[in-house]
Order: sequence, then C-alpha cells, then structure tokens
Amino acid sequence: MSSKTMKIFALAQLALAVFGGTLLLGQKMLQVKGSDTMVNLVQILAEKYMDKNPKQPIAVLGGGSGTGVTGMINGTCEIANTSRDWRQKEIDMAWEKGIRPRFFAVAIDSLSVIVNGKNPLNELTIAQVGAIYRGEVKNWKAVGGPDMKVSLYGRQSNSGTYVFFLEHVLGNKPYTTDMKEMNGNAQIIEGVITDGGGIGYVGVGYIIDQATGKPMKGLKVLNIKKDDKAEAFSPLDKAAVDSGAYPVSRPLWMATSGSPKGTAAGFLAWIVSPEGQKVVEAEGFYPVGGKLMEQNLKNLK
Amino acid sequence: MNLKGFKKLGASAVLFLAVAAVGSAQLNTTEQTLNTTVYFDYAHYLNNDGYLTSAKAKSSAFAFRRAYLTYERKLSDYLRFRFRYDADNAANITSINFANGTTSSDAKLRPYVKHICLQWNQDWLQSQVNIGMIETMSFKLTEDRWGYRSVAKTFADGYSDLTGQSIDQTSADLGVSWKGTLAKELRFGLGVFSGNGYTRPENDQYKKFAGYLQLVPLSGVSLFTYADIETQVEGKKAVTYKIDAFINLIKNANLVFEWLQYDNETRTFKSGGWSAYATYMVNPGKLGAFLRYDRYQPDSNDSLKNVDLIIAGLDWFAWGSFCRIQPNVWIRSYKDSLKKTDVIGVATFFMSF
Repeated sequence: MSSKTMKIFALAQLALAVFGGTLLLGQKMLQVKGSDTMVNLVQILAEKYMDKNPKQPIAVLGGGSGTGVTGMINGTCEIANTSRDWRQKEIDMAWEKGIRPRFFAVAIDSLSVIVNGKNPLNELTIAQVGAIYRGEVKNWKAVGGPDMKVSLYGRQSNSGTYVFFLEHVLGNKPYTTDMKEMNGNAQIIEGVITDGGGIGYVGVGYIIDQATGKPMKGLKVLNIKKDDKAEAFSPLDKAAVDSGAYPVSRPLWMATSGSPKGTAAGFLAWIVSPEGQKVVEAEGFYPVGGKLMEQNLKNLK
Repeated sequence: MNLKGFKKLGASAVLFLAVAAVGSAQLNTTEQTLNTTVYFDYAHYLNNDGYLTSAKAKSSAFAFRRAYLTYERKLSDYLRFRFRYDADNAANITSINFANGTTSSDAKLRPYVKHICLQWNQDWLQSQVNIGMIETMSFKLTEDRWGYRSVAKTFADGYSDLTGQSIDQTSADLGVSWKGTLAKELRFGLGVFSGNGYTRPENDQYKKFAGYLQLVPLSGVSLFTYADIETQVEGKKAVTYKIDAFINLIKNANLVFEWLQYDNETRTFKSGGWSAYATYMVNPGKLGAFLRYDRYQPDSNDSLKNVDLIIAGLDWFAWGSFCRIQPNVWIRSYKDSLKKTDVIGVATFFMSF
C-alpha cells in the first residue's frame, strides 16, 4: 500500500468513526452544571420540564458555581448555574475561548443566617455577622447571646455562596480559618442542628421543612438588619426581600454561551414563565420580577 | 543592568514573594485535592517498512506513558500549594558490576517531582505568581487547547522525541513566573528559570529569561507571541521564538496554529517548524475528535532531515471523564526518500481520578 493510499485510508476511517459515533450516541442531553445552592431547585425544574417535554433530556449537576463556569468555558456544559456574579477573570477567560455568556436570573435567594434552635438570639446586624465570620467575635456573649463559643459553618471557596457572603457580609476580608468548610447547604444545616454554638449560612430554599412549611426542627433562622438603627427582617419575609429591606438577597443565575438554542432555549423560557416561577416559589425561593425579568425576556431572543 | 544585577534582582524577588506569600497564608484550612492521571498505549505498526519501524519486534506492543499524582492545597483565598509526582518508564541503571565493567538496568515506573510550587493569586491585574518547580510558559496554552497530551505531546514539547534534536523546551523548571491581564484583550507573562528543566540540577550560572504577550482582538481569536533567551558557553546565546494562533469561533471546536524557531549560537543551524491542529467535541462528555499536522525542521541546513507527522483520532468517554479510550493513527513521513513512511495505529487508554 502506498503512503498516500494509507493516509487517505486512515482519514476515511476517522471520518466514518466520527459520523458513526454521532449516530450511535443518539440524542444530545442538555448538560447543566454549577451552584450547589441551585442544584435541587434546577433538578426539580428539569424534572417538571421533562414531564412536559420528554424528548428533551436534561442532566443537572452541582459542584459549585466555579465548577459551572469552568464547565461552560471548557465546553462540558451548556448552562452554568451560579449563585454569584461571574468574576471579571472568568468573563475574560470566556471571551478568549469565544464564549459570550448570556445571563438569566431564574430565582431570588435570600441568604439565610441560621443558628442552633436552642440559641436564644433572634437577630444580628450585617456587621456582627461579618465580625463573627472573620473570627473577631468568638463567643456568643459579645453579640448579646449566651456565654458559649461560636462554632462556624460555611462553604468551600468554589461555592458561589462562599464568594457572595465574603463580598457582601465580610467586606471582602478573609474568613477565619476556624470556619468548617462544608460541601453543601445540607451539611451546614446538619452541623448547626447538632452543634449548640453553631452558626451557618444557607440558601433560603434549604431551611424549610417541606412537610410542615416551617423552618426545620432544631434550627433557628435569624433576622438580619442592615445596621444598629435599622429594622431586622427575616429571609422568609417575601415583602422584605422584594423591597430590598432584607439585606442579604441575591439573584440566582443560569448562563448560556450566546443566545440559548434548542433544549436550553425551551428550558430557560419555561423557567422564567409564570409556570416555572411557581415551581421556584414552591421550592422556597422567590420569583424574579421587574428589570431582571425584562432582561431575561430580552436575552431569550 | 548586567547579568549579576539580574541574578540579584531575581533572587530578591523570589525571597520577597516567598515571604509575602507565606505571611498571607492561613495554614489550617481544609480545602485540598488529590488527583491521579494515568495513560498508556497499545500500538500496532501498520507499516513495518519505514525508518522507525524496521525492527519487526516492534510491530505490536503495550507502552506505559505516564502516571501523575497531584496534590493541591488551598492555603488561603489567594495562595495555593501544588505538588506533582510524575512517573514514566525511562530505563534506569540499577546496578554496576565493577569486576566486569557492566551495568544492568530496568524500566520500572519511577516517580520524580514535576511540580513543587506556591501559586499566589492577586486581584491586581488578575495576576498570578508561581514560585518553585513550576510550569514553564512556552506551550502551556497550546497544550491546554490540544487537550490530548495522552495521545501526543504538543509541537514544542515533543520535538526532540521525534527528531532527536533538542530545542531546549521543557514543561517544568525551577524558577519564578508572573502572569496577568492588562486588559480583556491583552495578557502577559514573565519568568526567570534555571533553564535546565526538571530532570537535571542547574549546572551553569546562566538563567533562562522568558516572556509572552497574548493578544485577544476579538472573542475566540488569540495571538500568542513568546520568546526566551539563555546564555550558553563562551557568552553565546540560545533564543526561542514562538507564535501561536488560537481560534475558537465554532462551539466546542479549537483550531490552533503553532510556529517555533530555536537558534542556538553554539550550533551552525537553526531548528523549528510548525504545527496545526483542530479538536472538536462531537458530543461533549461523550465523544471528541482531533486532527493534527506537524512539520519538523530539525536542521535549517539540511532539509532532508525534515519530518512530517499527521495524527488523527477519536476520544471516547467510555466511563465519563474518568476513563477515556482514544484510538488514533500516526503517519510519519520523511523528506529523505531513503526513509519510508511509518503508519502506527494506537489505542490510548486515559484514566483520571
């Protein structure tokens, strides 16, 4: 066999294998990856969407907001879930790889500060919470609580919640190294329930017991106030979250590379529709409205 | 500034950065990862008439390629530590018989340190400082885009393997580098290295100075220019120039062009060549494909030494991203008509945990 013939033979085999492989692998599944705060919500949204659209399979994975962003840049997912804004470095990296992310606010989360149910404390200021997580307050007595050591639960740095809390509550100063870095919201809740001095921060969708519609047993959700003079609000107070009176709320984002197409477009359009937003509310998060919703509808086009 | 001045400056910078980095560390955080990546081949020589395949015993064989064990630990939000063991089965002398004047050797997998470094990230210029046995800068970006190190090294990395002619490029070296972003459209990197790579201790007083600029004029299009220089014996210089173009205008597809020239004044010729490749994820997380063409020019005075290489293959995610099977074909042809084309069918097994 001449070398030219062999080259043609090898390339023909490759082309055949690619074509054949594509056919064999069948229908493409929409890959959604990212925020652990959002993973349960988006899984439920995907199940409900697939009930109506069984020919549009969707796989939803967690791993943290950073994982979602990396997945989108590396092409391993089509939708990245983040519970924080994308960092400039991530946007630049995406730009370099030909990805221009388009963002959809799919829910509003009021980040909830939780303590053990036996802790008599009911409220804290943002500054006090920041001081606790920076390690400047080590005993509950210093913020009006019992004479008990503070035991901190938080997330790992790949988490969007970790970053959001760092930026909006700790004033971009580092967390104390005493904080136990947990894998997810559920692990933080478990830690705080079993630890009398425990404090944690989780997405509002995780604190409600679906059976009772109330916060989980053994857990207390603290009211938070902007400063000493302000009124304290609960993350469960929808009106306070809507008006911005509750100081630690944030949009939860789903991002696509450019304008969404195919299953991604259908899925996102359904999530931001009144039907999808009802599911968001049923899962303990708050629906999106106003300018964020206007932006969503614009980005769908 | 003379060389002595540069050396003092380099040493001071390393010391300052190390002290500053350790000073800002928080040493009892728990975030750490341990990762293993292994790959090996089964190669079948489809054509045994060629230059490289004349020995019939080589017609079909398993070959172990690499095993990496990488440990990373977050010391603070800005500081990370990285340690990587690498292992290959290069022959090692195991005993010496002084009476007979003979040696014996084996090719067991032996680990060696590939990386041991601190990575200090700063918000300023989104910059990153690496100190220790670190990744070099000449082919890191193209290797990331190629993404099939398990199948083949990229052009600059694999050059001496195919031609026997060194162009003095290594994937890791002892030194310090600083990379950052001046604007969305412009990134930079600067580094000082021992110049001896990770396989040998430094055996001369000279350092390798390296730098790059990456221009990203529009989303998905990058131009990367790189140069390094190192003094050789008798004050002669060795210089590497490199230009890469990265194109990501089609979703899940990479198109890359890489050009390199190495000019060592201790030699009478230049070495270099170019490489072009395309990778495409047909179905992300399931199936990918790649095609590459390299033109090696080991001796600018003797074009008969030129080698052409084509690699084409598939990347099947047999068990997710943990285990991938990458069937591929290599076709090497030679300008010298006395050397015939080699055609090698390879099944590469890639595992990462």
